[in-house]
Amino acid sequence: MVVQKQKVVKRDEAFAHQTKTKIWQEIPSEQNPYLTEQCRCHGYDILELAQKRSFMDVLFLLFQGELPNPEQAELLEMLFIALINPGPRHPACRASMNAAVSRTNTAHLLPIGLSVLSGTHLGAQEVTTSMRFLAENLGHDPVVMAQEALASEYPDEGGLHPIPGFGNRFGGIDLQPLKIATILMGHAGAGAGLAWGSKLAETLELHQMGWLTTGLAAATFTDLGFSPWAGGGLFQLMNAPGILAHGLELADKPINDMPFLDKDHYVIAPEAQKN
Amino acid sequence: MSLPLKHKKTDTSFWDKRRGVIHTKNGGLVIGEAVYSHGYDMMEDLVGQASYFQVMVLNVTGRLPERRLADWLEALFICLSYPDARIWCNQIGSLSGTLRATPVAAISSGILASDSRMYGPGVAQRGMEFIIQARLAQQEGITPEKIIDNYPRRHSEQPPRIPGYFRPVALGDERIAPMECLANHLGFKIGDHLALAYEIEKLMREIYHERMNLLGYCTAFLADQNFHACDIYRLLSIWVSSGINACYAEAADQPPESFFPLQCEDIDYQGKPRRPVPARN
Repeated sequence: MVVQKQKVVKRDEAFAHQTKTKIWQEIPSEQNPYLTEQCRCHGYDILELAQKRSFMDVLFLLFQGELPNPEQAELLEMLFIALINPGPRHPACRASMNAAVSRTNTAHLLPIGLSVLSGTHLGAQEVTTSMRFLAENLGHDPVVMAQEALASEYPDEGGLHPIPGFGNRFGGIDLQPLKIATILMGHAGAGAGLAWGSKLAETLELHQMGWLTTGLAAATFTDLGFSPWAGGGLFQLMNAPGILAHGLELADKPINDMPFLDKDHYVIAPEAQKN
Repeated sequence: MSLPLKHKKTDTSFWDKRRGVIHTKNGGLVIGEAVYSHGYDMMEDLVGQASYFQVMVLNVTGRLPERRLADWLEALFICLSYPDARIWCNQIGSLSGTLRATPVAAISSGILASDSRMYGPGVAQRGMEFIIQARLAQQEGITPEKIIDNYPRRHSEQPPRIPGYFRPVALGDERIAPMECLANHLGFKIGDHLALAYEIEKLMREIYHERMNLLGYCTAFLADQNFHACDIYRLLSIWVSSGINACYAEAADQPPESFFPLQCEDIDYQGKPRRPVPARN
């Protein structure tokens, strides 16, 4: 084969000489420029933050550039606690548990579960989409939005999310996010996002739909001023402890501590088998 | 469908049918009998007879392609296997190697990075969707000029960033000619999608000085082979693995933390100056 080479040129595009950041400053040691004498997060010495502020304060600072007020920090912490564990039936936890019981390197359990939790259905991408939806529609009547969404065509089976972050699970209203939303709504830090979401959820209730964890996180993050992209990642972060804990619980267990389906419960369609 | 109403016990029969059981049309292992994939006995029919890429297509799409298509696809994977640590996903392999992550973690992380809106498998589905839609439009009488004009763009004064017709860093693509040559050698003819892709490229060159890249070529080629857009995303999901592996291996064989080290001053801090931490209220 003789290949006629195509002419390829470098684009006339200027790349930065250095990576830039507004988040973190590392003051070098005088003895070794690779080692850090002091780390500053948005101008604050991290060691001073460690002594004076809470984890939630610094988490908020990291993403938003300023420390939260007490109401914001408390609201964020309530959400982080309430969604700390998706539970052992959740696909993200189950991925971590499957890996653990099959002797996967335990350092991989968390990234495995978080990858599963990255999706557009009950995952990080749905949080981001839901936050964008909220940003675009907070000025509109949630009752009308719900009616419009419900007027669309839906598949006959499976979970329905007519609005990102809102819908049903297993045909019904997901009760946990509903209860968490009720608590968060009573908090001083709650704002327009949670209020709008609650009205929407009330309207959807008639159709056995309501808050999903993703919508709840999205509304709370919106009220706290996080960006949609940050919201997706923070949703993964808040679920991370549960995903890791459930994985580690099975890490030392024999492989038969979890089901491995027998042939009666793993049904191969006739057309998939060799005739 | 009619949506469920309140006060009725939830109908969970859809989930009940699936509870505790896996139904599959793929296949699987029947211990003591065979391992099946889409109607094939993998040990009898595939091992030693089909190529890995044929089996990959079979597993993803349910159809066993002819060998020459699998060979073309394998060559396509070579085209995204550059052992160059400057390429974003590959550098993740290097960074993993320098911190002694396992090769599996390194390659998985690098593959995740290639799920990008700019390059790699992340943009493949959109590239495929574009050419399939463009071909449908052409069949309805819309000209290639109009197809380009109609493509949504962020800024009206900028060229449309059509997936497959813009390549970051470089202009032009050294990979297309060898792939065309291989396709010709294997006896593939230029189909309707690829013919349209060439027309679009010609216009993009004339109007915007942009060229078709490998994605534009390969998605059009694969559309002519009747692949769906979602098939392509799935088939190409590990497209970059080999280049990442090369970069991981080189860094992992060097002393730890020796890959592309940065001094504190190498980062350009542009944030707030030092300030005292206020006490919590």
